[in-house]
Amino acid sequence: MSTTALRRGTLARRERLFAYALLAPAVVAVAALIAYPMYLIFAMSFREGKSLNFLALNTRPFGLGNYESVLADSATWHSVWVSFAYTFGSILPAFALGLGTALLLDRVFPMRRWLRSLVLLPWAVPGVMVSIVFLWLFDASFGVTNYFLRSLGLITTDIAWYSNESTALVAVIVPTIWKSYPFFTLTLLAAMQSIPGNLYEAAEVDGASPWRRFTDITWPGIRPQATLALVLNGLWAFREFDIIYAATGGGPSKATETLGLRAYNEAFGYFYMGRAAVIGVLMLVIALLAVLLARKQMRKEFF
Amino acid sequence: MLTRRWGWTVAVALLCAVLLFPFYWMFVTAVLPTSQVLSRSPTLLPSLADMSFQAFVTAFERKPLATWLTNSLIVTIGATTISLVIAALAGYSLSRFRTRAQELTGLTLLLTKMLPGSLIVIPFFIMASTFHLIDSLWALMLANAAVGVPFATWLLKGFFDGIPRDLEHAAMIDGCGHLSAFAYVIIPLARPGLAACAIYLAILSWSDFVFAKTLINDQARWTITTGMVSFIGEHGIEWSALMAAGILSMVPMIVLFLLLEPFLVSGMTAGSQR
Repeated sequence: MSTTALRRGTLARRERLFAYALLAPAVVAVAALIAYPMYLIFAMSFREGKSLNFLALNTRPFGLGNYESVLADSATWHSVWVSFAYTFGSILPAFALGLGTALLLDRVFPMRRWLRSLVLLPWAVPGVMVSIVFLWLFDASFGVTNYFLRSLGLITTDIAWYSNESTALVAVIVPTIWKSYPFFTLTLLAAMQSIPGNLYEAAEVDGASPWRRFTDITWPGIRPQATLALVLNGLWAFREFDIIYAATGGGPSKATETLGLRAYNEAFGYFYMGRAAVIGVLMLVIALLAVLLARKQMRKEFF
Repeated sequence: MLTRRWGWTVAVALLCAVLLFPFYWMFVTAVLPTSQVLSRSPTLLPSLADMSFQAFVTAFERKPLATWLTNSLIVTIGATTISLVIAALAGYSLSRFRTRAQELTGLTLLLTKMLPGSLIVIPFFIMASTFHLIDSLWALMLANAAVGVPFATWLLKGFFDGIPRDLEHAAMIDGCGHLSAFAYVIIPLARPGLAACAIYLAILSWSDFVFAKTLINDQARWTITTGMVSFIGEHGIEWSALMAAGILSMVPMIVLFLLLEPFLVSGMTAGSQR
């Protein structure tokens, strides 16, 4: 008996070793390329002043100066506002578009597979390319958007979308909606397809209207995934950099400078690494709060 | 009934036409002569006679597009392979064994979802400078792989969860080691999951801009995204050439996406049913 117990013990140990050996590369990758960089950001946020030599950062004076100067700066709070306007302004329309397309695709019809691929296609376009296409669509003199608006009689003079402070944010939000709605389509469609079909059949028998079928069957069925998708896509939009950077770089006069843009500009534009790190910490804190608000849903999915 | 179904197809196709208008406009701009492109009332439906593919040639003459596309391809293949291997091993381990790491995967994944690229690139820049990896495509591969691993691991764990354990147990009783049971029995069964994962990772790396912009200075090592953005700052943008280059830069991922999209959808469905 003792020998079998012993053998079982060594077997369990060998299993555990095997389990950890398989995990090792991932653990190393995460430790070296995510955990350590995050530690560097926190460490950097306490190093004051500006430095052109990134490697000599830890010789800079240590203190809370960066936190004081960044949090007292009204530009920071302006960026917080822009970030929120950008995130909600793009995520809510994208959600509506994603829900609508998912409802359309949640049917059996000819050519469904190819049409579904086409609906999801913008997802495969790199952010900077999305930006470039919309720079052209929204071009001040020859853009097709102005042409459409002129033809419809909505405007008489051309709008300089990207160089006008009051329209620049809209002009970066529209491409963001275009890039992010397919994620909603995909996740909501997946959720809809896991709703048992007999629920709909029963509703049909009871003579429920399409609207009732949506509110009583579809929506309750996809709600958890919808919340999760909103949070995840919200986090994505909140840290989005490529689209805005390529379109406006944060301008004109900071009208589109989200926190992500600001962190980058502080670091690689003005070489205030410490300040950039503080903005990064601020972003993480805000993201963490959002996650905590949705923690019930997040726990089910991630833990 | 059949006509109603085709009616639905037509409705969705019309919606597609609206949603995909930006693609159409890129194409129209690329093939029309400048006089029609730079016009106050642009031609919405160009005639075949006016079309020319000269802009594609011009794009290659103006900029080292071929070099940039090659660099992007190298980085994408490298990063995708690295993350896929790491994630497959880790995903399998998490699916089959209870370890301490299990509690940390969800947290790690969430953390990467919260960590902005424009922020993490700062320590990446410092690390790359330390190891003299600035201007090296290796740095780009590692950076992109790092960002992809957590999600890929999570996605693949879901797939492995759906494969019965009995299968590798049977193989092991037949004298297979655990690792070879994994390689020869489980991996082939997880092919749809691996495909879904690969397309996700490939699009992630191909789209990367912030790492490429920050870690690479040498123009000969630029990727297609940094290259494309360099068009914008110029005086008097040549829209035809820019759109032609844009189309070329998107073609690889669009082809990959159209071919592998069913795996992605089934992957998401499997994930949401767990």
